[in-house]
Amino acid sequence: MTDKPNFLPERLALLADLNAAQYLTDGLLSGKEDVPAIALNKTTEPLPHDGESRAELDPVRALVEDAMYQFRDDRPTAADGWLAPRLHAALRLTRREAADRRFWNYLALGVAPDYVVWRHLAAKSEDAPPKVAARRFRGPAYTQAFARLWWAAELFRDGPDYRPVVTMCANQDMLNTALRVDVMDHRPTALATVRLMERGTVRTGREVNALVAAINASAATLMYDVVAPDAARDGKPLREWIEAAESAPAVPRRDLPVGPYEEKAPEQSVDVLVDHFAEIFAGAPVRGRPDADEGTGGEV
Amino acid sequence: MRAYPYRRLPGVVSLRVTAVELRGPDDIRDPLDTSAFSAVEQVVAPGVSERDDWEWLRMTVEATVPGRATAPDSPWTDLAVVVVLSEGATNTRITTALAPGAEGGRQWVGHLDLWRADHRDRASMSVHVVATVDGVAGREIAASTKDWIVDLKSEAPLRDRELDVVEVGFREGPQWLRGFHEVPWVVDTSGDLPVVHINTDFEGVSDLVGGNGTSVDNMVRDLLIAQLCTDVWTAVFHTAIGDLEIEDDGTPLFPRDWRGEVLREMLPDVVPDRPVEDALGEVHRRRTGTSGWTDLQPRIHYAATRRADVPKALSTTIRGLDSIHRGADA
Repeated sequence: MTDKPNFLPERLALLADLNAAQYLTDGLLSGKEDVPAIALNKTTEPLPHDGESRAELDPVRALVEDAMYQFRDDRPTAADGWLAPRLHAALRLTRREAADRRFWNYLALGVAPDYVVWRHLAAKSEDAPPKVAARRFRGPAYTQAFARLWWAAELFRDGPDYRPVVTMCANQDMLNTALRVDVMDHRPTALATVRLMERGTVRTGREVNALVAAINASAATLMYDVVAPDAARDGKPLREWIEAAESAPAVPRRDLPVGPYEEKAPEQSVDVLVDHFAEIFAGAPVRGRPDADEGTGGEV
Repeated sequence: MRAYPYRRLPGVVSLRVTAVELRGPDDIRDPLDTSAFSAVEQVVAPGVSERDDWEWLRMTVEATVPGRATAPDSPWTDLAVVVVLSEGATNTRITTALAPGAEGGRQWVGHLDLWRADHRDRASMSVHVVATVDGVAGREIAASTKDWIVDLKSEAPLRDRELDVVEVGFREGPQWLRGFHEVPWVVDTSGDLPVVHINTDFEGVSDLVGGNGTSVDNMVRDLLIAQLCTDVWTAVFHTAIGDLEIEDDGTPLFPRDWRGEVLREMLPDVVPDRPVEDALGEVHRRRTGTSGWTDLQPRIHYAATRRADVPKALSTTIRGLDSIHRGADA
């Protein structure tokens, strides 16, 4: 199996797509080889926040090792809900920083290729040898192994509260589809979706996919921002949270961490959308559901 | 044309940015000069200010909505005019409701605040008219057609992007460039934005590309730049089409960064007379299918050449050469 890199520098770094490409070998993707760590670290660029505590590599590496240890006897997918909030709280990034693909390339190839292999090694069919898709190492934010967890935490936390993130990550279909649709960029929409999962209105992957599709379709004519307004965006709590990283202790392993003290989404807005989504879901076609009427869909 | 199950508002909805002010931690309030935003290009470029210490910016915006929206006999109630700013790369979407201004409900005014840490590259901004129709609240009844862009990378409010050009000696440069030390330039499409690396070890090329010399020099320069731009357009198209995310049912999705912009821009020339979504599906099918996509290559080349202004540069050069010859003959 792909192992922990035999060389780990002190600071996290950036690895450009072009430089990352040469390390995505068949050997690595099939989990048989390691990444040549010393050579890789010669092709990196320093982080813009290189001098800050949040650029330290050790805490991130330790967190990922703990995730692999804690879920060693479990399905690796179960680690997502544990790791997403903790990774988010350990890295303390702005969205601007998190939109840099080079950062995630480095985490996957330079810091924890063993995690990516452990979590994403899968056989496409029964006779095919198991492989990790290259986009788990280097790819868009909604598929890359670490970026998807960070963005799930960022878009589904309610200010400092990471609990909705844990619920959301418990369903792989949610994690896979929700990050790909723009409609989840509206926080009350994201939180109302999670609320329906908590209530048990949607349980299976197919139900989740049907719900997200219905929410997305309905957004073409209904403006959720107007019927369910969010609190005004304020960047100060995030800045303070990032500054506090200098003196913050390690991310808690047992309890959930606490995110930036941004204002929570207005309860009333989430409620309005919970009702609306429950209604359109009731009329939405779900694959495999006996009463599924694929023809009409729901009135949006 | 899509069909809506309710009455929509006909006519043009437009958006204008009338003022931009940078705000920073130490109570900085720096109203930007009007050169920082262009109503023609519909672009705001805070980079014009050349200051790097701002934390957020406040835009004063104004929307014009057809008068019918507020006519007493209209089918719409609870009218709201909302400005939406979003950037796909950072999954950020912020909205602000405008308030009715003067001119009998046609003008709506308000502010939109953008936090710098939430954005990486380009955010787009549109205005939407929302109302209660047939008892359903929150229906979008009209929207602006051309987005405004807030460009955090550029130092001028221009819609078309300027290419990022880096001059570097390939022989001693970054590892991956060393193998290319005999060529004048290389296009790198792997990053946030495509970059052209000009090889300073190729003698004279940077003077020629960047210079302003005799009329013959300039003709050669323009032709060279057109060639370079063709390379860039071809490279970005192939990069974008080769890195698509595919839905479960096989439908390819438009990427959410510059790759998507490139495809939307070029596909109408590659697969003409089709909506861009269909065109994307068609190109993807051909590229990954068994029949191959060789027959599309001339169309891709055509799309790239047109955008690079090759025909114009070449005909100017040919005419220029003609007149030089005539001068020499006389």
